[in-house]
Amino acid sequence: MKEKLEEIQTQGLKEIENANSISELQEVRKNLTGKKSELSKVLKSLGSLSLDERKEIGIKTTEIKNIFLDKLKEKEDMIVASKKVLDEPIDLTLPGTKINRGTLHPITQMCYDLNDAFLSLGFEVFSEDDISSEKFAFDNLNFAPDHPARQMMDTYWLEGTEDKAANERLCLRPHLTGASVRYLLKHGAPARFVYPGRVYRNEDIDSGHERAFFQYEALIVDKDMSFSSGMVMIQTILEKVFGREIKVRMREGFFPFVEPGYEIDMECLVCGGKGCKVCKHNGWLEIMPGGVIHPNVLKSAGLDPDEWTGFYVNIGLERLVMMRYGVDDIRLFHSADLRFLDQFK
Amino acid sequence: MKVSLNWIKKYIDLPKDLTPKQIAYDLTLRTVEVEDVLDTSEKYRDIVVGKILEVKNHPNADELRICITDIGEDHPVQIVCGGSNLYKGEYVVVSKPGAKVVWHGEGEPVTIGKSKIRGEESYGMICSACEVYLDYFFPAKDSSEIVDLKDVDCKPGQNIADIVFMNDTVFEIDNKSLTNRPDLWGHYGIARELSAIYDVPLKELPKIDIDPNLPEYKIEIKEPTKCQRYVGIEIENVYVKESPLWMKALIINGGMRPISAIVDITNYVMLAVGQPLHAFDRTHVEGEKIIVRNARKGEKLLLLDNATLNFTEDDLVISDVNNAIGLAGIRGGKKDSILPDTKGIVLEVANFTAGTIRKTGKRFDEKTDASIRYEKNMDTERVDLGVSMSLQLIKELFKESKVVAYGDNYPVKTKRSVIDVPQEFLDIRLGKVLTRETIEKVLKLLGYDVEYKNNIYHVIAPVWRSTGDVSIKDDVMGDIARLLGYQSFEPKPLTIKFDHAVRQNDVLLERRLREYLAFRCGFNEIYTYPWIDIKYINAAKIDTTNSVRLATPPSPTLATLRSSLVPGMLEAVSKNLRYFDNFKMFEIAQVFEKGEYHESTLEETLPIHKKYLTGCIVGKDAKKIFYELKGVIESMASYCHMEELSFVKKEKPSWADSDVYLNVVCKNEIIGSFGLVSVFTMMESKIKRTNVAVFELNSDKFIPYASRTNNFEALPQFPLVAKDLSILVDNDVTFEEISKAIKSKVKYLEFIEEYKGDQIPDGKKSIMLHIKIGNDDSTMNSEQINDSMNNIIKILNDKCGAELRRE
Repeated sequence: MKEKLEEIQTQGLKEIENANSISELQEVRKNLTGKKSELSKVLKSLGSLSLDERKEIGIKTTEIKNIFLDKLKEKEDMIVASKKVLDEPIDLTLPGTKINRGTLHPITQMCYDLNDAFLSLGFEVFSEDDISSEKFAFDNLNFAPDHPARQMMDTYWLEGTEDKAANERLCLRPHLTGASVRYLLKHGAPARFVYPGRVYRNEDIDSGHERAFFQYEALIVDKDMSFSSGMVMIQTILEKVFGREIKVRMREGFFPFVEPGYEIDMECLVCGGKGCKVCKHNGWLEIMPGGVIHPNVLKSAGLDPDEWTGFYVNIGLERLVMMRYGVDDIRLFHSADLRFLDQFK
Repeated sequence: MKVSLNWIKKYIDLPKDLTPKQIAYDLTLRTVEVEDVLDTSEKYRDIVVGKILEVKNHPNADELRICITDIGEDHPVQIVCGGSNLYKGEYVVVSKPGAKVVWHGEGEPVTIGKSKIRGEESYGMICSACEVYLDYFFPAKDSSEIVDLKDVDCKPGQNIADIVFMNDTVFEIDNKSLTNRPDLWGHYGIARELSAIYDVPLKELPKIDIDPNLPEYKIEIKEPTKCQRYVGIEIENVYVKESPLWMKALIINGGMRPISAIVDITNYVMLAVGQPLHAFDRTHVEGEKIIVRNARKGEKLLLLDNATLNFTEDDLVISDVNNAIGLAGIRGGKKDSILPDTKGIVLEVANFTAGTIRKTGKRFDEKTDASIRYEKNMDTERVDLGVSMSLQLIKELFKESKVVAYGDNYPVKTKRSVIDVPQEFLDIRLGKVLTRETIEKVLKLLGYDVEYKNNIYHVIAPVWRSTGDVSIKDDVMGDIARLLGYQSFEPKPLTIKFDHAVRQNDVLLERRLREYLAFRCGFNEIYTYPWIDIKYINAAKIDTTNSVRLATPPSPTLATLRSSLVPGMLEAVSKNLRYFDNFKMFEIAQVFEKGEYHESTLEETLPIHKKYLTGCIVGKDAKKIFYELKGVIESMASYCHMEELSFVKKEKPSWADSDVYLNVVCKNEIIGSFGLVSVFTMMESKIKRTNVAVFELNSDKFIPYASRTNNFEALPQFPLVAKDLSILVDNDVTFEEISKAIKSKVKYLEFIEEYKGDQIPDGKKSIMLHIKIGNDDSTMNSEQINDSMNNIIKILNDKCGAELRRE
């Protein structure tokens, strides 16, 4: 009997060893541990034996069954571990499925980055219409009556209004600043707001000049403010947009609607301020004009300049985008050319 | 504008250790933008004085000579030269090996090396003027004439830049940064700024007293609002000759060209103090009198280049008793020009107002160095500087000259601005308390007079800043801040206030719309110009009756401002078809039409503005792109969190196909449309072999939700049964009819596909639906399922004539 059991064990382990799939293994399990297995037969034939012998054989049989179960489990794990999802190998170098995603215009993206930064500082977003009157585009902003920008050559005046004046002479706005007075007339002070938008100038176009381009202007109006507060604002915004500390300097600049006025330069990001072609070898890039709102502008907005003061900055969005990506032709922004736009995913 | 450092040094002694780069930096931060710093001696490197010791014939060439030349080195050198005017003892200009010369004055400079010319050694070359940038200093009769330095004090080996006073530094200043500063349009003004920046004294300009017994030169000013002062000086015994080298050098480095001594003096004075001058030939000023008046109707002026200026009655002219002899402040005429036969002059030192000059200059499209300065609005006292400096120079260059008459008509005098600046104002706005001493010092250096009383600075601005530049206390504050350097003021943090918390739903909605179209629907955002080519407007059949137009459009076909974004979109499609077959684009922008709208005040009437959102899908399969576009609009409201949109078919957009379009409705109002672009419109827009589906919506009409409003529905408690249903209906049965018929009988209804063709009888179509049915209070048993399905099929049959399709 003992020999028989040993033979069953040896034979059984061999069968387990030889099984190569889960289904084969299931068959083997049935043969070795099922009701019709050899082991069951052995147990059924115990009746003729003594109690002691029965006991001994019974223990031995259970032992063998447990060995089978362990081995079956081991083999099953082995087969599962080596099992593959695909029957055939695939080319892992084939490109993945394309995500069908469009793009926001790079100008819009920059504008939204700035919005996020300004909104976090409690600024409101305001927008003015594209067409404005001379009153809002020039008179309110302290432009001298004979300022060259008022002439036909520089600004796009509307047909039929070009020979009129002030409220009746209409144009595609040449800058955003007129919107500042509109906002202040509507909401009063204190105020902090940004007003992005497109402006228009009658110019010859080339890789550096456009007739329509985007600006982003911000204004704070408050009491007892010093001009240097504006510098904090600029620094904060540039840091948020470029994601790191940016060196900024303010220098003398002249614009009719500010006094004093500044040109604001940032450290050239291309060379890190050492001097390169992009910054004309001086390490600084002119990025935005700014300044303290002129008392005459405050008066146009119905505010007392002895009580209120404020600070403007005006960012040229094209310039910032061109810096960000190294774009070298400003005309691309209005080209609607998808070969260009599709790059800004 | 160009500024010569040598010239500046005539007026101030700069600190010794100061580099030109530092000066440029300080000027840029505090006064004007310096764009470039140039070393003018650079191009004269290794070009020296040589003395010819011996002239020999060249053994191999008749036209060449061999010159043994002393160039200040240990031994004389041998130079081969073809010059026509070589002689022993001549002082010449020698380019040593390494120097750069321009061959015969043409093309790019090349570097000279040691060479053999026709077998003879030549150590560099002996140069003519045009080869080494000396044309203005030593004008030559022809190009074979080499420079002969016989009248010049020099010795062999001396660098030529020293001889012609070109050891100088030139600052290129951005004219834009000078527009508000008439005082800086001359070297003396820049020197004054530097004197204030570095706290060094500014030298006073010499003042020449006019002999009160001189006969009066008659000057009549008929337009004192245009000409505020006119000084005329009659001078004899002056004539055309070359200016001294030092003056030529400064004029060149100041950005002008030397012409002749008289003209050079007028230009020199202008570059020095910013005051333009003009010299008329005395003998041609008829009647010995200058009249400043408006031009007569039809009056003309012949110019030196034989062109003619035709005046209008608005133009201000300088006239003798008969005719105009010059266009005031811009240029003179031919008759009275300084020519070789000139023996005496009438010198004009005058003040014309900015507006007058700008207007006239613009009409004649003329900008001269004089008019640029007048346009900046100059003070009338500067005339005195011009008079003194010019008389001094004329005496210096023409010893024999004599002033014979003098006239000064001075109807309007520039008043100095008087401004009170409270101490407290400065403390707050500067963000820093400055001492009285600091403030007074800075202002005095800039030419202000200051008196401090009762915490107020009583300030009188210098006359050269009083023509508009400085008029209010903020201007004074600005001057103090810039001169101390903006960097020297500590930035003060801004405070955040909670009542500033901002949420602007309309702003947020626009962003969601853009992001929905770009990121969810795969559109690329474009920007196009507001002026649209009439070709595309006509192609889209857009009515231009109410269009707003530009007076001076970029080109004649671009005069119309858009009243729809569709024409611009068509243009963009036609351009991109060159590179792509399937694409989607959108644009958000304002459109315009005639009308009356008050944005800010009742006095201001603007045209109507609307903000449109327009997009397109381009692809060959018209049906597919139409349904794709419809899907985009169907989901827009829920994805972008705004008031629902629905569709009707009422008004065909001008650009749309006659059948395939729908109008979009929001709150019972049609706010836009979408559909396939008509064959006509595509053809006229040069859009070939494809189809375009377009939508255009007035985004002003969208109503943003204040927060997300998706509805929550409890999940079904009992399982639903899903069934696919394939039915055959007549062609004219719409999906809307089918869905209406069974909507109440199903929990869920989805359209899978529509099919016509093989195996479908003519006039019929097959529609596949996916439905889910179920009970609210229990799980459906198979009997209920059968009943429900049979019922649905019966209803479809009754209402839509549908039959179940068997596979």
